[in-house]
Amino acid sequence: MRRLLNPLIAPDVFDFWASKVNSTWSWERPLARIVARRPEAHGAVTLVLQPNRHFAGFVPGQHINVTAEIDGVRVTRSYSPTNIPAADRRVELTVKQIDGGRMSTHLIGHTQVGDVLELGPAFGEMTWPEAADGRWLLLAAGSGITPMMSLVRAWAAACMPGELTLVYTARTQAELCFAAELRELAAREPRFHLHLLLTRESDAFAGAPYTERGGRLDADWLQQRVPELAAHTVYACGPAGFVDSARQIAGNRAARFHAEAFTPPALVDDVAGTVRVELRASGRTLELPAGQSLLAALEAQGVHPAHGCRMGICNTCACGKLSGTTQDLNTGDRDAEPNSALRICVNRACSDLTLDL
Amino acid sequence: MTQAKLNRPLSSEELDRFGAELDALRARTVAKVGDEDARYIRRIVKAVRYTEAAGRALLFAGLFPPAWILGTLLLGLSKILENMELGHNVIHGQYDWMNDPTLNGKTYEWDIVGTSENWRKTHNYKHHTYTNIRGLDDDIGYGVLRIFPEQKWKPLYLAQPLFAVIFALLFEWGVAIQDVRLGRWLKGKMSGAQLRKEFAPVGRKIRRQIIKDYVAFPLLAGPFFLPVLTGNIVANILRNLWTYMIIFCGHFTADVETFPKSVLRNESRGHWYLRQLRGSSNISGGTLLHIMSGNLSHQIEHHMFPDLPARRYAEMAPVVREICARYGQNYNTGSLPRQFGQVVWRILRHSLPSRPRREAVLTVDAPQDAAVA
Repeated sequence: MRRLLNPLIAPDVFDFWASKVNSTWSWERPLARIVARRPEAHGAVTLVLQPNRHFAGFVPGQHINVTAEIDGVRVTRSYSPTNIPAADRRVELTVKQIDGGRMSTHLIGHTQVGDVLELGPAFGEMTWPEAADGRWLLLAAGSGITPMMSLVRAWAAACMPGELTLVYTARTQAELCFAAELRELAAREPRFHLHLLLTRESDAFAGAPYTERGGRLDADWLQQRVPELAAHTVYACGPAGFVDSARQIAGNRAARFHAEAFTPPALVDDVAGTVRVELRASGRTLELPAGQSLLAALEAQGVHPAHGCRMGICNTCACGKLSGTTQDLNTGDRDAEPNSALRICVNRACSDLTLDL
Repeated sequence: MTQAKLNRPLSSEELDRFGAELDALRARTVAKVGDEDARYIRRIVKAVRYTEAAGRALLFAGLFPPAWILGTLLLGLSKILENMELGHNVIHGQYDWMNDPTLNGKTYEWDIVGTSENWRKTHNYKHHTYTNIRGLDDDIGYGVLRIFPEQKWKPLYLAQPLFAVIFALLFEWGVAIQDVRLGRWLKGKMSGAQLRKEFAPVGRKIRRQIIKDYVAFPLLAGPFFLPVLTGNIVANILRNLWTYMIIFCGHFTADVETFPKSVLRNESRGHWYLRQLRGSSNISGGTLLHIMSGNLSHQIEHHMFPDLPARRYAEMAPVVREICARYGQNYNTGSLPRQFGQVVWRILRHSLPSRPRREAVLTVDAPQDAAVA
């Protein structure tokens, strides 16, 4: 069919007519229709998506770039599915309202059942290894629960191969997602240990099991609850501040530590002044401030390169760096390798650069 | 000529203010670009798709002459809309801010034998950066016509009136091979292997277009092969003639100027704007003309702001015109018959030997920045 149609019709034209018949039919683009939505907590909604056959699926703990059209502009953000892969191929995204967040406001406030979103391929290494026995500690804060929930559900579905501890920090009881399901699992399954920490509610303990009010993840607290940290593999996910402190507390003491942060790290501004950045493909040369991420600096000049997550994990903004030295704002590592791929959202220029943009 | 005499040479300070006023207009317009423009370009996509489908469907009934005529006209209309208001403008990146991969300037491929890739180089880069600079802008006569007296005359140009007509009929093919540099190969400056390498993507695009319009759709019509084939040929020719006429009116009217390479020396922003103004001409008319010409009827605004959605040019034009008037600059516009008449005259006149007229100057400060009327 595709081979037959190929000389007659371009993919865009095929998609135009196919979408008149079925809004998720496409030549090659992974599209998904919202088939249900339900409130998950205060300010959080779960969207159930039915992808078309071009979506290649995901593994629990991974992220997917989700694209929606907002006021004529296609906006892309990363979300972790909270369900586990099943025969119906559905994807559940739990979206938390971010103050001033363009995508979360749109997904929570404006999308309806029947709307279509575009999906990217799933990515990320915070997944279960093939032999997931041993002891595991998952540290989640805010929407950091989303990949963890998929991991917990996958663990439960696989009949609990090892010991699993989940420490989930939220601001208030009302903002906890999946609380009932998690408590039920903890009550039923002795090898699942649950700690729900509420940072903004310091009133007396009101009887909800596994919940601590006014609690905060620190070294002493963790030492008490998870005394054998050195025997654990730790996954952490949440805002940058949370992930930083999790890394300080557990990074060196755990058997293995892997973290993913949501918000971009603060800029390391030790290089004042500007650099000359040549954009080879568009034939432009710009003076950019060295202290900023290249993406932000380019956008301030009216150049809008492709990008997605803006935090260095989705690779959408990656472009060829032909020459020059850059610094990764996440790690502080400098890179002087020519002809390498560069993610401009998390790298700043340390020298004049030539980019394949 | 007469109108060009109105052009007052500007000082550097005046040029800076001239540029600043146009930059301010640009910023005001950029701030407005959004949802409305997105919906507009999607409507254009819709119009392209529906007219193409209707045209092709009617051509399948092409044994019935009125259906053949209407089908051919609709298919030609679809191709014109697709090439001009959609393709040309999208390839400029005017809608890149939408982040829509189907409307992305770097990846859009249009319904014409030339590749978008070559167009991005010859048009977006060379023509728009070096507009009307002799030796840098290949669009000056497209390397085959003598439009300006500054181009060297050769006896071959005596056949130019005939050649111009053939070029118009085959315009898409001329655009397709513009960047293949056959001339360099003929002169022995490029190897056959290099030529084949440069031609490969063009060849693939040509094959695809030929198979689509002249093999696949006619075959699909079965016994009505011939009416579909002829309808497709005529639709492509109609598109060629229309685009040729619009594009030639943009830079080859009587008062348009060309420039020596020396204008690039320390060219300021204001100077760049002025060069775009002096090298371009508009076509006056209504909304239909603007849409059908891909808003190249606003060639002046397009050259000043090539990356802004073209539908915004109509609202910018009166402001640009008013700014030009205050700085004593001719705003070159006229009806389609008037502008194209001037183009035809240039083609006829410069097929014969001709000499450059007096030199007009862009600025009072830099005598080397001379332009020739």
